[in-house]
Amino acid sequence: MSAITETAAPVPALPPAGMVATIAGKEFTELLRDARLKWAGGLIAVLMLTALLLGWQQQQQLDRERAAASHTSYQQWLGQGEKNPHSAAHYGQYAFKPASPLSFLDPGINPYVGSAVWMEAHKQNEFRFRPARDATSLRRFGDLSINFVWQVLSPLLIVLITFNAFTGERERGTLRQLLSVGVQPAQLLVGKMTAISALLAILLVPPMLMAMAMLFFVDEHHVDSLDILGRSGLMFIGYAVYLAGFALLSLGVSAACGSSRKALIVLLAFWVLNCFVAPRAITDVAARLAPTPSAVQFQSALTQAKKANFGHDEKHPAFIAFRDSVLARYGVSRVEDLPVNFRALSLNEDDERGYRIYDEHYGRLWAIYLEQERIRSLAGVLFPMAALQPWSMAMAGTDIAQQNDFATAAERYRREIQKAMAADMIRNRPNDGSDYVAGPELWASIAPFEYRLPQAASVLGNQWRNLLLLLVWAAMIGGFALTVVRRLRPT
Amino acid sequence: MLEANDLTKRYDQHLALDRLNLKVAPGEIFCLLGGNGAGKTTTINLFLNFIQPTSGTATVNGIDVAARPLEAKRQIAYIPETVMLYGSLSGIENLEYFSKLALGVKRPRAELLDLLVQAGLAPDAAPRRVEGYSKGMRQKVGIAIAMARNARALLLDEPTSGLDPQAANEFARLLEQMKHRGVAILMTTHDLFLAKQTGTRVGIMQRGVLAAMFGTDTVDHTELERIYLDLSYGKKAA
Repeated sequence: MSAITETAAPVPALPPAGMVATIAGKEFTELLRDARLKWAGGLIAVLMLTALLLGWQQQQQLDRERAAASHTSYQQWLGQGEKNPHSAAHYGQYAFKPASPLSFLDPGINPYVGSAVWMEAHKQNEFRFRPARDATSLRRFGDLSINFVWQVLSPLLIVLITFNAFTGERERGTLRQLLSVGVQPAQLLVGKMTAISALLAILLVPPMLMAMAMLFFVDEHHVDSLDILGRSGLMFIGYAVYLAGFALLSLGVSAACGSSRKALIVLLAFWVLNCFVAPRAITDVAARLAPTPSAVQFQSALTQAKKANFGHDEKHPAFIAFRDSVLARYGVSRVEDLPVNFRALSLNEDDERGYRIYDEHYGRLWAIYLEQERIRSLAGVLFPMAALQPWSMAMAGTDIAQQNDFATAAERYRREIQKAMAADMIRNRPNDGSDYVAGPELWASIAPFEYRLPQAASVLGNQWRNLLLLLVWAAMIGGFALTVVRRLRPT
Repeated sequence: MLEANDLTKRYDQHLALDRLNLKVAPGEIFCLLGGNGAGKTTTINLFLNFIQPTSGTATVNGIDVAARPLEAKRQIAYIPETVMLYGSLSGIENLEYFSKLALGVKRPRAELLDLLVQAGLAPDAAPRRVEGYSKGMRQKVGIAIAMARNARALLLDEPTSGLDPQAANEFARLLEQMKHRGVAILMTTHDLFLAKQTGTRVGIMQRGVLAAMFGTDTVDHTELERIYLDLSYGKKAA
């Protein structure tokens, strides 16, 4: 055996950043060689790719079908031939909600709410064609989207590869070795977190880049490219905070627990609570605190309120009162002497009164939904899924707020049709009881319905609280991890 | 170099170490003997700042370990009873990792390989993953890590436990070389032969107290064994 190196000398300290980089490098090498990561990570990669491609293909197909249906509906509107404008208003059109470009990343509430609404006279209809209702129960198992992989499977992968990050060091005895060379526990935490962050980047960045590439190869998105980029970036930030928080939690629990087994049990329990139990329980709590009326109750209340309107009933007291007020306004005593068409005026008035009733009832319902959302989000401080889900759906354009935005746009369009038809009748229809018909030029004066998603900035304006909650949760978890790691002892 | 002044560690009602006073000079090998629970590992843990003293101080080259642990650790290398390494890394990768953490620089692979060979590891074992190593091979990597640190003081906790006689013999020779380089070595061991063969002085601990301390050149093997058994177990040597 040859001689040992020359005289002992004081050892220079590795700067903290260098220490962290060295730890991170070694941790990453270990992760890459970890069989658990190879199998679980491989499976998740396959699932992500499948979800991405299938989701994209389904969304493209749906978009094409909706565009075709929308075009057909408008052509049917144009091809009505000559008829009374009020009949045309009753004939109406269908409005189809275009698929949001990022909905293939997170379909959100799309499968549970309708995608089309029939816009007819006098009535604000509900949405139809709910994929979840139309699908067979087996189909639901096949609905794999990338948001599920990111929200549910990725945290599980993080737990499985990090639950023994510190307990393993202690159980193996390497912690003694590390601490004896002057590594500080906090540096160990940051080094391990850096390595896991690289893994998280692998989980998040390639699918997001693939999604971007897919989107930019298609021309029409109902939003501009910058907006897609903004939405994707914001969605990415939300997932990055969520997964980083999970990694910190896993590291913290691993440092706090006496054994790997205990750490795994604690982390799996939290994963189940966060991903499966809490979302349902929180929704139930929100529904109890801010109850929504059932569909039957809502429709019944609406019908009741609409009884105050006269509709086509010429004996209704409201009709008589309106007729008298119109006659008085024009200084005549008979409808036949009015310079404008009274029938059209009365229908228009009935619509206007109906709008107020619809706005009041739907507005009240919307306020309850918002309150439920607010309550659900608050739970995000403890269970990040509660804040992440609405954030992700909002950025994908598939949340309830953007469904409501589309419903509002469709209703606005319906009212424009009603107003245009009524205005034409008021101007042109005689009061002598003879029938009046309008031609295709009137139908063509109504532009086709077009809908554009709200801008990312406005979505962010409504959603900043969820990102803040995620950040607060992650910061709390980071504080917890740092506190327990600082108390780390090798024995 | 290594100094304990009234060093005491108490766990609730249990006194693990009672007012230990000890000095290990550069170029000296001090062997701490004693039965299980005598306070040997507690002493090592206190010098490594793994635990805080109840009272008293442990210093390395004049640096109080509890007050300035990082500075103190820079002066110390440590070899535990069982050197635990990262199984998915090779022997040379483990050495590279720990030496970089300790030294702050990445040493050339050839230099690291030389250290492993000096520690007694076969060159063809160095690039293999440690998960396939025997305890003796791991111990040799641990020795190489300690050697790579070029430290002024070396703490050894039952280092030859589980080593075959040839490996233990090689280890003793390495200790001799380190001693000649001026390294202060504090070693806990049950191996009386190793203590007599390599130690400059021996201390025998009993229930947290340093019960006896003498030069190894003042006793022969039989005498050392008799004193050890007497103090540790209250028995006379055969």
